[in-house]
Amino acid sequence: MTAKETFSPGDALRDVYTRGLVTGDFVLVHGDLVSNIRVDEVVRVHKERKKVDRDAIMTIVVKECGGGGRVVKECGGGGRTRSKGDSSVFVLDSETSECLHYESVIGYPPKTLTKIPREIFVEHPDVEIRNDLIDCGIDICSVEVPSLFQDNFDYLDLRRDFVHGVLTSDLLMKNIYCYVAKDGYAARVQDTKSYDAISKDILSRWAFPLVPDNNHPSGHIYEHRRGNKYIARDNSVVLARTSKIGNNSLVGSSTQVYENAQILSSVIGRNCVIGPHTVIENAYIFDNTKVGAGCLIEKSIIGAGVSVGNDTKIPKGCLIGDGVTLGPGLQLEPFERLSKKSERADDEDQVAAQARLGVDEGIIVWSRPNPTDEDSDEDDEEGVENSKNQRFLRIGDDAEDLHFSDPGSESSDGEEDSSDDDSDLNLGNLPTSSVTSLDTATIAVHSSELVAEKEFRHEVNLSLERAFAEGHSLENAAVELKTLRMASNVPIARVREAVIAAIVERIPIVEGGGIPQRKEIANVIGRWGPLIGRIGGFDAVETISELQAHCTTSSRFPLFGQILAALYQDDIVEEDDIRAWHRLPSSQGGGNEEMKKCWLIGGRMIEQFDEQESDDQDDNEDESE
Amino acid sequence: MASKPQAAANQRFVEELASRLRRRQIVGSRATALETLLVLRQVVSKARFSNIEQLVEIIRSVGRRLVEAQPKEHSVGNTVRKVLHHIREEYHTATENAPSSSTRKFSIAQFVRQGQPRRNPVVVKSEGKPTLKENDPDDPDSFARGLKPVLMEAIQDVFDELETVYDNISKNAKDHIHSDEIILTLGMSKTVESFLKTASHHRNYTVIVAETAPSYGGRAMAQSLSAAGISTFLVPDSSIYALMSRVNKVILGAHAILANGGMFATTGSLLAATAAHSYSTPVVVCAGQFKVTPLWNLYHEYGALDFGDPSAVLGFDEGDLVNKVDVVNPYYDYVRPELVDAYITNYGDHPPSSIYRLIKESYDDEDIDL
Repeated sequence: MTAKETFSPGDALRDVYTRGLVTGDFVLVHGDLVSNIRVDEVVRVHKERKKVDRDAIMTIVVKECGGGGRVVKECGGGGRTRSKGDSSVFVLDSETSECLHYESVIGYPPKTLTKIPREIFVEHPDVEIRNDLIDCGIDICSVEVPSLFQDNFDYLDLRRDFVHGVLTSDLLMKNIYCYVAKDGYAARVQDTKSYDAISKDILSRWAFPLVPDNNHPSGHIYEHRRGNKYIARDNSVVLARTSKIGNNSLVGSSTQVYENAQILSSVIGRNCVIGPHTVIENAYIFDNTKVGAGCLIEKSIIGAGVSVGNDTKIPKGCLIGDGVTLGPGLQLEPFERLSKKSERADDEDQVAAQARLGVDEGIIVWSRPNPTDEDSDEDDEEGVENSKNQRFLRIGDDAEDLHFSDPGSESSDGEEDSSDDDSDLNLGNLPTSSVTSLDTATIAVHSSELVAEKEFRHEVNLSLERAFAEGHSLENAAVELKTLRMASNVPIARVREAVIAAIVERIPIVEGGGIPQRKEIANVIGRWGPLIGRIGGFDAVETISELQAHCTTSSRFPLFGQILAALYQDDIVEEDDIRAWHRLPSSQGGGNEEMKKCWLIGGRMIEQFDEQESDDQDDNEDESE
Repeated sequence: MASKPQAAANQRFVEELASRLRRRQIVGSRATALETLLVLRQVVSKARFSNIEQLVEIIRSVGRRLVEAQPKEHSVGNTVRKVLHHIREEYHTATENAPSSSTRKFSIAQFVRQGQPRRNPVVVKSEGKPTLKENDPDDPDSFARGLKPVLMEAIQDVFDELETVYDNISKNAKDHIHSDEIILTLGMSKTVESFLKTASHHRNYTVIVAETAPSYGGRAMAQSLSAAGISTFLVPDSSIYALMSRVNKVILGAHAILANGGMFATTGSLLAATAAHSYSTPVVVCAGQFKVTPLWNLYHEYGALDFGDPSAVLGFDEGDLVNKVDVVNPYYDYVRPELVDAYITNYGDHPPSSIYRLIKESYDDEDIDL
């Protein structure tokens, strides 16, 4: 069954759900997958896990690539197939291999930081942060997965949207696990570059038993010769005595190779003709193509039924569509893409391009990203669509000028473990995220994010005002805030900040202060204080810090001590929390007068605690005496 | 009628075995032979035929299908050939009262004739027994009905032979291994394992097992032998030659025994056999008769050694190196006949030069190309 109106894995799964095709757990693979990993073991593990944990909805099969977390510039062998432009960071629980966090990494602009929610470190004592895993694109899914896609109609990609969405959501409460396959081969033919890499892997038998001399899907039989050369077995191939077939090559049936032709690490389809003195290197030529004499074809893909005239040069990275006629004597430039004319009207660019290359009319020269323009539109395109990113996916492009480097994670385990220490709190703008550095460079906060945040703030204020005015119950207010947080995708710290700010602003200032003021504060905190704890990810020390930060900028600055006292009275913060906050170097304000004052107020409170304690002790002593 | 054998070859259980063979979910000569036999039994029990040619054609088409699925597992084809041979024999005894038993007697006069391809007079339509009437127009199934019980028995015979193959090979073990001998072996071969264990009941001797990289089957073998109380040494493959001067006998397993007396055996066998040759140490190969294959390997075809996944030799972790070198991981070595001194099968002991006789006795000439 094929569905014509689906443009993403998300659409397809929604389609599957609406048709009610799946009634049990299923294995989800991409159509472009090449793999010899035994799935039965993974399914067994998934089923067993499901018995214990009903919320385990998915098991992702990942493959370790060489280096085991060390410098993985380009992994060898199977690692050839790890695409540079699109890899990912997995955060796994070492014991259960539950996937705790997922973030996709794109090649350009180089990603240097990954943000990992702090809750992960609190809940899981032992985590692995890995970017040496190849995503095989094999998932064992539970029945719930399509329905989750149905509920979240904006999910498109299985990884970037679905996995990320499920893991970051605190409404769904579903778990995703990873299965790290130690051996076996898995890769996806996603682009011309991986097509090249996977073809090479198949020819050098890494994907065994998926090899040309065995298991060929369409039943062709090839003879395996020394040096991984595969020649069709039906005795129809004509190889001239002086022709040379290099290692890791395949020649289809009824193909003729003439004198002094060289075929090096290339795949030639059926019924092809390779003219004398032609050199074909690292190229893929489909069925029924004729290549004339003295041609040079490098690192390119030539479609079926193409006719290449004598002395034509096709340099690296070219893609020639089916049925195109080229040459003779034509010289293409690298990364040129040609196809046969469809109904598209000619435009002037086309004519110019045709003239530039000297190809016949009736052949479309596809425009290509001009490397010189790229700096200007760098910020226009985000994510994988970025043109520089596309270059990582292109056959024959080693993208050396982009200085892609993947130096691996610099942070040690020690650092990661310390991230839930209080010292991390001084990361002012990223209070709840521990930051794992992937590179020494830092990342700038995007301006668009700021705009979104401002909007979010406004929304929170509105929603809280409504809650205050209409006297909502705490639960309802908390749910409303949660949804708001989902909608605008902001860290939980922002919500807390906003809530604290709103509550503080809610406290009416009574002229003259004293007892009536204290009463007002107790009223407001007593009614709304618990909300701070309800929005999730509660951290008392941070709450105090935020309260301090807010009070310094607000007209309610003098009330800081009283509010703190009220929070303490209502058991929202504990004595130890206040002490912990007081110890933080950042609490002293670093030169800011108001911050300093708040800190001093806190200090006085602690003194009171100490006195109380000693009083208690004295009392005890008195009693004992 | 012409489409019928085709249909037989496409039956579900045939297809299933074919795809399991292709995916290498089932490996090893004996396992594949047993599975093939089970499928053939099903095929025969379901087959509809009114004369022997139809039945033979059905079985051959199934056999062809299975052999194409995995040409490197020679015991599949051998089992099909053997079943065909047995079926023809049963047919002859059923239709003629006295089949050509006279030709079985050996005499110099007949020696030349026996070397010739034996033509089975298949189309002898002497309806000796009224119960077995071929091509009966009134009741086309009567022939099948009459013959099937005998055929099932014939297949059961082949089955029993496979079941008892280890015992039959091992029964003469004590004649081959003497006390205080030092035996060298490699790889994990069930046949060799049971051979050595049986000998240990009567003799006290030492076994040196080579690790047999990259499969390291030798480790499992050493474990099993020492568990059986045999004094065992596990050595790396590289020390085979160095130790050969102390070895009295090399005992190997085989994947397939070829008609010229050579064999395909686990990687490393050629190394051991060549080392033994230079020290004139006898090389003895233990293998079931089902491994005897009517193949010659005259052109030393490269792909016949069955190249596997190179990751066992040089894994991904080697990183950059893997991109720069071509790694090969052949499963088998071709051992030439002159390097082997004797084959011990469940049919007795044979020198390599008489393997062709074994083939001639076990299979019919017309089945050599399935």
